[in-house]
Amino acid sequence: MLARLGRVGIDATSSWVAALLTLATAIGSVATPGVAGRRVARRVTLLQVFFTGVQGLPIVTATALIIGATFMLQLIVAAPGLPGEVVGQFLVAVVLRELAPLVTVIIVASRSGTAIATELGNMKANREVLGLAAMGIDPGRYIVLPRVIGVMAGVTVLTVYFAVLSLIGSVVVALALGAPSLLAVQHGVAATLSVVDLLLLSVKAGGGGLLVGWLCCHFGLAVRGSSTEVPTMTGRAVIGSVFGCVLYNFAVTVVYYGLSGSLVQ
Amino acid sequence: MSDTDVGLQLVDVSHCHGDRTILSAESFVLSPGSTLIVTGANGVGKSTLLYLCAGLVPADAGRVQLGGASVDPSRPSDLIRQGVRCGFVFQQGGLLANLSALANVALGMRYHADVFGLSERSVEERARFCLGAVGVSRRDFHALPGRLSFGICKRVALARAMAVEPNIAFFDDPDAGLDRENASVVHDILASYRDDASVTLVVATNRLGLIERLASRMVELRDGHLWEQDLASRRSSALV
Repeated sequence: MLARLGRVGIDATSSWVAALLTLATAIGSVATPGVAGRRVARRVTLLQVFFTGVQGLPIVTATALIIGATFMLQLIVAAPGLPGEVVGQFLVAVVLRELAPLVTVIIVASRSGTAIATELGNMKANREVLGLAAMGIDPGRYIVLPRVIGVMAGVTVLTVYFAVLSLIGSVVVALALGAPSLLAVQHGVAATLSVVDLLLLSVKAGGGGLLVGWLCCHFGLAVRGSSTEVPTMTGRAVIGSVFGCVLYNFAVTVVYYGLSGSLVQ
Repeated sequence: MSDTDVGLQLVDVSHCHGDRTILSAESFVLSPGSTLIVTGANGVGKSTLLYLCAGLVPADAGRVQLGGASVDPSRPSDLIRQGVRCGFVFQQGGLLANLSALANVALGMRYHADVFGLSERSVEERARFCLGAVGVSRRDFHALPGRLSFGICKRVALARAMAVEPNIAFFDDPDAGLDRENASVVHDILASYRDDASVTLVVATNRLGLIERLASRMVELRDGHLWEQDLASRRSSALV
């Protein structure tokens, strides 16, 4: 039993060391000389921003509108007498600060994350990664870094977009059901929302994007040589990155409220 | 022999693939411009040996040098900046599935265009020239590898290796799975590399026809070591 636990501990540690090494190699590749290589990598980054940010718009649009609408519906039905200002505060605290970054990153993990892990897993199995190395192309610079940066940028933009659309969704429901007062909700949102929220949203979205991009690249490249490993690694990548994002989101929230003094009260 | 007089050098290199020993504390030197044929039974690790020699996978122990430069599989671009241009043709696979044949051939040149001193236009022209030289028709230039036959993919891989004007070229079972016509194209290119004093050539094959055509230094990979072989003994073992 103890031996098994020890083995699990060693495996987990070596797995994390390998994952950190993947990220460190990618970050280190920024310093690699070569203007032409940088240009090629930039093109891959833009493609990743397109795949994650632009192609993800329809699903994020629908999800944000529905979540905003559902949240307002729940507030109206469960707490009918709730003042509009309080409803506005809830919208900022729950939808904007928590749901927007978390749901967006989960959507991106299930869309782009699976695509990245599957693509890289198949590239590994088909010796495409070796093929790149044979051409003198650093996989960290050509494969990992552009995808990590692309996903980070995509998630950040989509999170802000999600936040705005979820507000629209909730306003539509409030208008349709006639309560609470739209003006009061607007006051509540304006009173709670600050510039720090934009920073908080960026930190959560950027960090979540980093986790998804990094872990999905790492698990994709962890395929050793058989395409049968690809689904397993893709599953690990998505579950690992979603769980990592949930933990990260929680940690940032705790730090945010800890720094603002709200937790002490 | 100084480092610059070395095309390929293995110093006490050991490597295992799973529980299989590929190399066991093996040392080996190949002078620049020479040709080496690697033979060995199926599954003995010829491909892995080529990956080790080209610096694509790290050795468990020992040191690998190409053109006097130490290889670091985690930073393959270092070799290019040290003047070592590697061309590698895999037994199968190796082409990027999401790039067209033309883009596959151009990628290495485009990525190192500043080192090679190439403009975007000359990258494109050279890629087209190399594809044409191995007999890939124009209509296949923009096709993805998945749409191309095995023989054409092999030619594209060959064109990709040629495009960087390699000073060290590795060919892993280059004519496997090819018909006579395609195999003949590959043999001609290998023969031209053998005759080119600026190219160090390493070919893994068991095909007697190709071995006879190249008629060069030959080693057999067996039991984790490289054993020198001559053509006569190879012929007799092929007859057996």
